[in-house]
Amino acid sequence: MRKIFTIAGREYRAMVATKAFLLSITMMPVLMLGGLFTTQWLNKAGGIKERKIVVWDGTGELFQQLRTSSIAFNAQIEVAMENSNNDGIIEEQTGGLEQFEKYLLERAPVSEITNEYRSEISEKITKGEVYAYLEIPADIIVEELKLNEATSLQNIKDAIPAAIFRSQDSALSQAKQWLQVTLSKLIKDKRLAASGVDRKLVEKAEIPIQVKGMGLFALDKDGNAKEEDEGNVLAALFMPFGVMMLMFMVIFLAAQPCLESVLEEKSQKISEVLLGCANPFQLMVGKLIGVVGGSLTVFSIYILGIIWFARSQQIEIPIQIIPWFVVFQILGVFFYGALFMAVGASVSQLKEAQSMLLPIWMLMMSPMFVWLIIVRDPNGAMATGMSLFPPATPTSLMLRMATGQAIPIWQPIVGLIMMVACTLFVVHIAGRIFRVGILWQGKTPSIREVFKWSLSSN
Amino acid sequence: MQNAIELAGVTKRFGKKTAVDGLDLAVPTGAIYGFIGPNGSGKTTTLRMILRIIQPDSGQVAVLGKLRGRTADDQLGYLPEERGMYKRMKARELLIYFSRLKGRYDAAKNVDQWLEKLGAAEWANMKIETLSKGMAQKIQFISAIVTMPKLVILDEPFSGLDPVNMEVLRDAVLELRENGTTVIFSTHDMDMAQQMCDTIFMVFQGKKVLDGTLSEIQATYPANRVRVILSDTRQEFPSIDGIENLTQTRNSFEFKLENIEEKQRILQQLAARVSLDQFEVIRPTLHEIFVRIARPENARAESLQDS
Repeated sequence: MRKIFTIAGREYRAMVATKAFLLSITMMPVLMLGGLFTTQWLNKAGGIKERKIVVWDGTGELFQQLRTSSIAFNAQIEVAMENSNNDGIIEEQTGGLEQFEKYLLERAPVSEITNEYRSEISEKITKGEVYAYLEIPADIIVEELKLNEATSLQNIKDAIPAAIFRSQDSALSQAKQWLQVTLSKLIKDKRLAASGVDRKLVEKAEIPIQVKGMGLFALDKDGNAKEEDEGNVLAALFMPFGVMMLMFMVIFLAAQPCLESVLEEKSQKISEVLLGCANPFQLMVGKLIGVVGGSLTVFSIYILGIIWFARSQQIEIPIQIIPWFVVFQILGVFFYGALFMAVGASVSQLKEAQSMLLPIWMLMMSPMFVWLIIVRDPNGAMATGMSLFPPATPTSLMLRMATGQAIPIWQPIVGLIMMVACTLFVVHIAGRIFRVGILWQGKTPSIREVFKWSLSSN
Repeated sequence: MQNAIELAGVTKRFGKKTAVDGLDLAVPTGAIYGFIGPNGSGKTTTLRMILRIIQPDSGQVAVLGKLRGRTADDQLGYLPEERGMYKRMKARELLIYFSRLKGRYDAAKNVDQWLEKLGAAEWANMKIETLSKGMAQKIQFISAIVTMPKLVILDEPFSGLDPVNMEVLRDAVLELRENGTTVIFSTHDMDMAQQMCDTIFMVFQGKKVLDGTLSEIQATYPANRVRVILSDTRQEFPSIDGIENLTQTRNSFEFKLENIEEKQRILQQLAARVSLDQFEVIRPTLHEIFVRIARPENARAESLQDS
């Protein structure tokens, strides 16, 4: 037993007392949170892009109005760029602001559109002289709204021809979105005017009603309403997301060194020396305890940071799930640490490990693929299923618990029991692979061979 | 006195290959036991079974009186042929770590003494990766013996060392024996084995082929070789009937007698034709015995028999 702790102690120091470790625990949250803001920041840093768009207007009247709209939009963009606050005006017009863009519209210098002209302008787009080309068909304006006829709205919609937008990135283009929104609005105004309806009246009629999301209602001892704060969409989504990422991070930061230390011992021929002192089981369990200690250190650092940050920002965090978190974190580290170690023992170079790690990665990340489904319905079939699937149990259970919704208490308990059983099984199998693998030299074994090792008892 | 190691009918197979085949071995306590054999002959497998890294398929392995175990005895020190140390650990720190793994939690003083003794004290706080090869080898050697084990297995302890360091380590091994430690010494260097070992043991293709003191082993081979040293280097070796495989190193000649009974006649004929400084009937050296046993044609014959 003492040997196990001697090994654990070294493993812990090897994991925690390195520059790479310090760097990764500081960089991980920065990278993850940073991802949320960098796109916007990068867009701003890139300045405003000018998009030159050539328009062939078959109606003869839309171009001028479109150009007027673009000038107004460009002015708004400039203000938004300066104030870094656009109050959603721009999102409304582009369906989400991805980039700061100005639109410079130019009338196509031909009266009739021909395929020659289309290919000529396409060439200009390829050369980068023009960003995009818009073709507005003459019959796009259907002024007489034949609503009283028996035709359905869908039929009318199908009858109106589409404007054609050509650019190199037409599928994702933000300019296309802007044109769609702006043209629709212009044509809507025309239709209203043709029908003699006041545009202002329609705008007023279209003012939406809000449904406000609030927390639950309770009465305190004196019978006063104790209302919880307005349910914050961001908090409701990002708190569980953050908890899930934290779990993923502590497991990952602990499992990775398992792989590396076994590989180091193998490639530096240390394994044989170690086996002259301790048996493979002691080695493996010692390492696992070491990295569990390391992962708890990471967790303590993060949780203290989070609590401090939450206090200073007056954000409420679900402190009551911390004990569950720690229990599942320890199991998760044992589970994935053992798997990573088995992989480390089966290969002789890090790059050979990649293909074997892929399925393990998939298991580890499986809750991330469905996290939104779980958060939206924390007691749904997907959520329940994922939390009872041991490789995904730690992350998905924490994700659910962090939503603040009550979860039937049997689920974490059954999840815990299954996870313990599964972890014991995985550690046992990985131990067999580890025992054969650490003395294995030469060619990388095939998955079949590794599977055979896992069955061999001697 | 009890034997430090006793193997009885030990067999180990890896798949279809029999690595060790019905091996019997008794290593007396306090001896330096030379363990020789060509690569792939089952040496490492045997050592690993003694270390309990692998378990035999059949037969018994008794180490320091214990018949079974899943972990190497803490009284057993091991220096594997392939050296390995954590590169980023400091020498002293590493030695203390290895001692703790051997169940010795008070080894700091011993570590310092050995570092001092082998002239490595100034390297104590350097990282392994900064050490020269010879220095790293010394550190690894210390790691095998620092816990004062009763039994030490040294696999090629001197390979790659310069003569000065080799001397230092050889003295250390001899000192271990004086203190009653049993040493198993595995090597390809037959001269070294001949020099240092009380008893020599050879495995070939998983089977024991030699086991005994050097003179016992040599006695099993006929004394049919003669070494002759001529007084004058300019003399030519005369042609005489009844000798074969003549080799020359400066003024020393060696040959094999076709018939041992004729050695007297050949001495007389030689003495009549050249002036002799020495005429000695010699037994084969360990090197020659080794080569004779492990010749490729023997290996082929054996493997044909196997299949």
